[in-house]
Amino acid sequence: MIHRNLLLFRGARYLWWSLVLLIGSGVLYATQGNVQPPNGGTWQGYVLGSIGALLILWLTFLGVRKRSYKTTMGSVQGWTSAHVYLGTALLIIATLHAGFQVGWNLHTLAYALMIVVIFSGFFGLYSYLNNPVLISKNREGGSRAELFAELFELDKESRSVSQKCAPEVGIAVASSIERTTLGGGVYAQLFSGDESLYVRGTGAPVRNIDQQGVIDFVAERLPRAQKGIEAANLQHLIVLLCRRQAVLRRIRRDIRLRGWLKMWLYFHIPVTFALLFALTAHIVSTFVYW
Amino acid sequence: MEALLRELHQGPDGIAEYRDTEISGAELTIGSGTDQRIQLLGTAVAPEHAVIRKSGSKLDLSCRGGKRVRVNGEERSSAHLEIGDVIELAGHQLTIAEPPGGFDIAIELRPNENIDASEFESAFRTDLGQTWLSKRPAAWLLVAIVLIVGVVLPITVIVMHRAERELPAWVPGDEFWNSGPLSPAHQQAAGVRCDTCHKEPFVRVQDDTCMSCHKTIHDHVSPEHLALTQLGPTQRCATCHREHNEPASFLVNSSDAMCVDCHAKSNEKFAQLHVEPVSGFSAKHHPEFKAWLLKPNVPPPQTSPASGGGQGGGEFEWKTEIAALDKAVEQSNVKFSHNQHLDPDRVLRRGDSQPLNCADCHRLEPDGEHFEPITMENRCAECHELTFDPGAPDRQLPHGKPREVVLTLQDYFTRKFSDPNAGRPTRERRRLPGREEEEQTCTGAPFDCAMRSAHAEIENQFTRRGCVGCHMVVDTKSDSDFDRFQVYPIRFARDYFPAGRFDHRSHQIQGKLTGDAACLSCHKAKESQDSKDLMLPAMGKCEECHGDRPAVERVAVQCVSCHSYHPQLTVAVEAPES
Repeated sequence: MIHRNLLLFRGARYLWWSLVLLIGSGVLYATQGNVQPPNGGTWQGYVLGSIGALLILWLTFLGVRKRSYKTTMGSVQGWTSAHVYLGTALLIIATLHAGFQVGWNLHTLAYALMIVVIFSGFFGLYSYLNNPVLISKNREGGSRAELFAELFELDKESRSVSQKCAPEVGIAVASSIERTTLGGGVYAQLFSGDESLYVRGTGAPVRNIDQQGVIDFVAERLPRAQKGIEAANLQHLIVLLCRRQAVLRRIRRDIRLRGWLKMWLYFHIPVTFALLFALTAHIVSTFVYW
Repeated sequence: MEALLRELHQGPDGIAEYRDTEISGAELTIGSGTDQRIQLLGTAVAPEHAVIRKSGSKLDLSCRGGKRVRVNGEERSSAHLEIGDVIELAGHQLTIAEPPGGFDIAIELRPNENIDASEFESAFRTDLGQTWLSKRPAAWLLVAIVLIVGVVLPITVIVMHRAERELPAWVPGDEFWNSGPLSPAHQQAAGVRCDTCHKEPFVRVQDDTCMSCHKTIHDHVSPEHLALTQLGPTQRCATCHREHNEPASFLVNSSDAMCVDCHAKSNEKFAQLHVEPVSGFSAKHHPEFKAWLLKPNVPPPQTSPASGGGQGGGEFEWKTEIAALDKAVEQSNVKFSHNQHLDPDRVLRRGDSQPLNCADCHRLEPDGEHFEPITMENRCAECHELTFDPGAPDRQLPHGKPREVVLTLQDYFTRKFSDPNAGRPTRERRRLPGREEEEQTCTGAPFDCAMRSAHAEIENQFTRRGCVGCHMVVDTKSDSDFDRFQVYPIRFARDYFPAGRFDHRSHQIQGKLTGDAACLSCHKAKESQDSKDLMLPAMGKCEECHGDRPAVERVAVQCVSCHSYHPQLTVAVEAPES
């Protein structure tokens, strides 16, 4: 499993690297203080800051490494493992560099951006550890395309069966299919928003959350069915609609899990670029006003 | 608009099948979405791709933003449709046909049979990448914000400041680059102008800039002295004085390391300057204290009337002498016993008859370190009057002016012997050893009698009873009463350790010791019989409570706790005459 390999890559080799780096940084930090309060301006502060800046550059370089397939500089898996551990170490190293001092300034802005990047990374790590398992469980081994193909078939079948029923049933089922929403905007994808509607007899479409409305509508027709064939059709239709409901649930859940799996990157990547510029400005401004 | 849609399929047996659907609505939407009137599948088909509208008798096709279709083999985003036109989209073919009666439009649809049902997914937005979220524009936006706020704005402000251009008050300025708060005084002086101190970009704050305000501060070592050593130039102000730190009140690097760096190797580095090495505060690492004493240079007794008398003839010169504590002898010229004054059996305070306290004579100055100079007038006179005639207790001799003492006595006795209203004018008093008072009768002329009495009393005051009680008096055996006695002046050192700072105030309470007990714990006044005793504690006394590093029951002190890096203007050794 990828997530095991990610954290336990080569016996968590980079965990140990990070711990050694952290211990070194802690010692550096502790040797400050008798001259002036710990901050980025002591020689220890400069060293910690340099380590932090180099780490940020290297961590950013994962984006390049991921895309260069010909390189022989270690596996992407190893790089990602190191990325996680050293990124976590960066959080502490940068905090020590700052000497826990914050203010409304460029320096803290760079720090804050770094925090956003690292914590979005933590969320990404959490998602990569959890969601793939949930996704594959939800799909039961199939692919998303298969779920959609099934949905498509069920749509067609439902339409054709509903045509054989009373007109209002036909309208309700056709409208429920037409007005089924899946995914959509950011909120709808991440929180399985369901704006589905169906036409209940006449008038404006009504809510059809989780397709329950149309199922109930059809089910209510069942006791009133007069001919055996009508009841059979309705029953068949209910089975189809319920299967459709189940498939839609799976697809919604799939969209949601995949959405959360990717969501963090929309913070992680853009903020990383902002961080690179803020970091450069931080370093340059420090030496402009040396 | 009424439309007829005929879907053509290849049946399983190769025979064409078709299915007709009647559609009515204001417009005919085409796309992959389930809500589209004509749903076409395929990744190249947008959920809402195109729309056909009827305007008058014509049919218009228009694609949604950025989308295109092929009309009669030509890529178009909009078109007027005629009968027989063929619209192609992702392999699907729509042919406009002659509408049967009752329909406005008839479309023959040949769906792309190769499109898999799985492509049905494209009918929905199922990926975050299909939403407004995007990494690249977000990155650019954030980068732009960072650059504007973090770079462009501050640099603009810097350029404006350097060009001495006024900026509106609302402009945030370059304080966004401020790495930490300034100490309040510097904040007040600098305001929002970073270039008050940071004169040149990429150049560290120069000492000249500090000195432009701190004009009276002195260098640790004078340039002349520094030239004698192998030390480089003195450190920058900012080496010790760090700004933009938290807490904002932190402005002085008080670590010993800075001092010890040079002073531990003073033997090697200071060359001709003889400074004992120091590497800490303990017997091993710090030289024993040495007292700065005032040493009188006693001139030979002179008898010249021009000397004015009273100042020991020639000028008394006081020189500073530095001596080890165990060999130091106080040479203030005063005769005084602390032991006697602190003995309640012998001395009680005037007024409330309580034993004397240290503070009765030694009053701390506002600086908390030094004491008010002790003079006859402000301390001793409270108990020690300069009366000379028990018969005239209101008359006192002037203090500090031997010539006037002589004149006063002569005047007093002249009047006493010549005043016709005075009782028993012919008697003169003479005090003899063993007898309190004896009166003798003078039978001569009143002036002679007066001079004789005055002469006797002058001798008495300078040798037995008055001045000589506290002062050292030299009898020059001169015939003139004015020149005969020379009184040594008294001077007390104001500061025995001018190179050190000691806060008496904070030491008035030492653990459980308070009041006199605290004073006496360091100054052995009760055992001192003689004013030659210095009574200064050695370093060991400090070490009872202090060390150079934090320890249990020890108060840590640093070099700068007692020593000042910047030399103070020395008020130290000189003191007003007493």
